[in-house]
Amino acid sequence: MNQDVTRLEELLARVQRNAARPRAARAAFAPIAPMAAAPAPAPVVVSAPPAVVVPAPVFAPPAAAFSPPAPAFSPPAPAYTDSVDDLLADPFPASSAPPPPPAPTDAHDAPDESVPLVAVAAPPAEHISGVMPVAELTEAPEELLEDDIVEMSPPAVAVEAVVPASRTALDDVDLNFDDEDEDATRQSASDGEPPVSSSRSKIAGTMDEALARAAEQMEIQEGREVPLKTPPPESGPQAAMAPMPAPPAPDIDELLEADILPVSGTSSPASVPTTEQLGQTIDLEEARGPRLELDHPVAASAATAPAEELEVTLPRREFGGGYQDDLMPPPEARQDLDAHLQRVGDEAIPPPPESLAQYPSLQPSASTSGTFAASASPSVTTESPSEAVSMVTIEAPGGAELSPELLARPELGPSAVAKFIRAEPPRPSTFLELLDASLTLGRH
Amino acid sequence: MSTRFDPSYALEFDLGRGQIRMANAGERLVVPIDALLALCHGASEDAVRDFGRRLGTEAGRALLGRLGDTGQASLEAVVEHLGGELALMGLGSLGLERWGTALVLSFTHSPLGGAGDLLLGSVLEGAAQRTFGRDVVATKLVRDADQVRFLITGHAGAELALGWLASGVAWGDVLTRLVSASRGVA
Repeated sequence: MNQDVTRLEELLARVQRNAARPRAARAAFAPIAPMAAAPAPAPVVVSAPPAVVVPAPVFAPPAAAFSPPAPAFSPPAPAYTDSVDDLLADPFPASSAPPPPPAPTDAHDAPDESVPLVAVAAPPAEHISGVMPVAELTEAPEELLEDDIVEMSPPAVAVEAVVPASRTALDDVDLNFDDEDEDATRQSASDGEPPVSSSRSKIAGTMDEALARAAEQMEIQEGREVPLKTPPPESGPQAAMAPMPAPPAPDIDELLEADILPVSGTSSPASVPTTEQLGQTIDLEEARGPRLELDHPVAASAATAPAEELEVTLPRREFGGGYQDDLMPPPEARQDLDAHLQRVGDEAIPPPPESLAQYPSLQPSASTSGTFAASASPSVTTESPSEAVSMVTIEAPGGAELSPELLARPELGPSAVAKFIRAEPPRPSTFLELLDASLTLGRH
Repeated sequence: MSTRFDPSYALEFDLGRGQIRMANAGERLVVPIDALLALCHGASEDAVRDFGRRLGTEAGRALLGRLGDTGQASLEAVVEHLGGELALMGLGSLGLERWGTALVLSFTHSPLGGAGDLLLGSVLEGAAQRTFGRDVVATKLVRDADQVRFLITGHAGAELALGWLASGVAWGDVLTRLVSASRGVA
């Protein structure tokens, strides 16, 4: 047992040393993560140009390119080498047999999944739980330094409770560190295309070369469906994110109280007082001194409140809008009150009236000739449309002393204008009269 | 005297003797229409007029017996009784129209048709002569399919009406002109 412990410590030391060294071969996977989010059905394995050397792998894909569970299992790639798998697999060959890695085409056939299409061989789950910190599973991948590696070994139960989704996602991911370099080289050789999202292509030396390359790029892009391009990842050291603190240990007292209190119904623990709150009950002493009783006159209440409690008795008529004579306005409102009274006095002057023609009979002071002054005529309304009342509106000049005179036709009573007399033809009373009248026709 | 025409027992058929008698009158003869018309067609106009006036005189005489004082008889009474007597003869239904002061008598449903208009006019002249003692002239104004109208005037009026009718004046205008002319004179 001690030997195993010693051996594991040695392995851990080797892992830490290897993690501190930069891996040039991992650069082949650096651009893969952004490309994995591209919706193109065919996987595009990007291989960096041989002239450009990426010093450190950076897994910093854009946040939009990954779904929330995706970054949980992407960080361990740069921190481990190929030899770690071999070393970790040796002590427990029987119990920790890694599952066979899925075919690379499985990940590429499901472009809609949130798992990036990265051909990375994942170490066994138990190795992840023993080495990789849980807090880093939820963070974006970044370059890890030696100081940033913190060894945490939370209980396996807690890890299983925290990242069940990442475990299931890890099962679908092909994490094969042994074959990743070979696969990347093979795919890049088969495709023979520069990465779509890579902006580190070789700069053309001349204008002709640049035009030719642009024309070639246009031909390539016309023949296929251009995937969504994402900006290249930023390189260089970045500040390490603070690890997510482990969930605090549950309070035993709170758990016990939760077990004691009833959970049924709508009552929540927050609304129910705890046992601590109920335990300290203070009994008040009896009131000292003479005993007082409040009494109210029954007759007065019956006389003043005959109605319901909610009814409000309206103020009486004499109290509506009245002022008490002895009340004086405050001294600061004296000026405003004077101005208001002066304004009201100006508006009280009536405008010039509108003159309406009126029958002389309706004017008591009108003369018999039908002539009367318009200034003395009040407004006249008639209900009968047949009456010939003419409305005349006269705007009198401001300084005019003469008032217009209106002439109205005198009233005429109902009289017969025409008389029609029906001429009764002479009707013969006897046949002989008609015969004699007819015999006279045509006589001259 | 009853004002209503009562045709009860107006005709008496004596089949034993082979005679048809009219009440208060002599024997009657039932002849076919076309035979009578053929006779009238072959006779002269004056003969036909005389034949018709004789028929009218017979009707007037019967009317006098029914009405009594025909001078006080009303229009309705004359039309009813004279029309009844003519209906017993089978000449059609008598009617009366008064156009102002002009008297128009008409026959409806006459079996004689247009060929018997001269005969019908003569019947009216004979009845008026016999009943009222006036010489009248029945001038045919218009005839349609079932009715014929006669203007009852004197000779002067009849000449004017015939002249206007011959010149194409409508029978209504003829009556209007006659009445207007008589008012102007009056």
